[in-house]
Amino acid sequence: MLGEFEYILVTVAAGLGESAYGAAIREGIEESAGRSCSIGALYTTIERLEKKGMLKTWMGEATAQRGGRAKRMVRVTAKGMHAAKEFYEAMMGVSRNASWARGKPSHAS
Amino acid sequence: MSSLAEMAAIFVAPKDRDAVLGDLAETGASGWSTLGSVLGLVVRQQMEPWRAWQPWVTSSVALAGSLLLLAVSFGLSVNTRHLLRGERGYGSVLFEALLMLSWAWTSGFVVGSLSGKTRWVSGILCAIPCLSCVLRFQDTSLSRLCVLLFLLPGLVGAVQGVRRAHLSHRTALTLAIAITALMLAWGGMYMRNWFLLLPAWWLVAHAERSKRSDEKEAA
Repeated sequence: MLGEFEYILVTVAAGLGESAYGAAIREGIEESAGRSCSIGALYTTIERLEKKGMLKTWMGEATAQRGGRAKRMVRVTAKGMHAAKEFYEAMMGVSRNASWARGKPSHAS
Repeated sequence: MSSLAEMAAIFVAPKDRDAVLGDLAETGASGWSTLGSVLGLVVRQQMEPWRAWQPWVTSSVALAGSLLLLAVSFGLSVNTRHLLRGERGYGSVLFEALLMLSWAWTSGFVVGSLSGKTRWVSGILCAIPCLSCVLRFQDTSLSRLCVLLFLLPGLVGAVQGVRRAHLSHRTALTLAIAITALMLAWGGMYMRNWFLLLPAWWLVAHAERSKRSDEKEAA
């Protein structure tokens, strides 16, 4: 089972498709999830997910904008997509009766 | 500042180094921010292996094993001196020496095979009690290095552990039974010695698990 940040990373990387790499994924996470993402969190999570077989990475092209340094390209594997789907379904399942999911006002004080 | 960040990036895993510095250049991060991000990544990469149980086991084995084996080495040195004075038989000292070699080798093998990126921590945890013991050694009739007799077989075990990862099931089982039998024959059934047997039986359990996973993969 994926963790919350792992799920966000896999989902953003899958959405970026062929153009998924470190900086683009970081920007995607900050824009779509509305939370800051440190380089440390990003790269250690990419490494962990690659070890679990959920991502595949390789070194891509170098550009002048990047000071001539190569990108670490990312692709979500079939196993990664399956794990993300499982996480999504589990969250949808547990949220079914939650007041915020049904659009009813919360009774919390 | 960016040159400081580049220097700090030496500690980043080699395959991430270019990508990370490139990402930070692309996003136009300031010098301080780049340095902070790189240092943050270094810390996270060093902490990451500790999410697994293996480094905790190897650190415990390295520290506790060193403390116990320091005592075993000292005991062996004292008994060797008694042997040379004719106050003790050959058999008992030979058994003790074989047991020390086996305990040190199996402990080293477990540490080497499981430590991975935290190998340096295991090394430090082994070195601290050794150094402390050597510096505080007070028996003038023996060399202070006598407490380090276990280091060489331990290091050989660790190097072989790094290279081989695990023993075959038959080898591990034979070794564990032989060490246990040797210990029972020697008569040293103290808590300390039972603890030193654990790495040998761990190797059996690990070999069994590897054998089962190989069989599952083959099927």
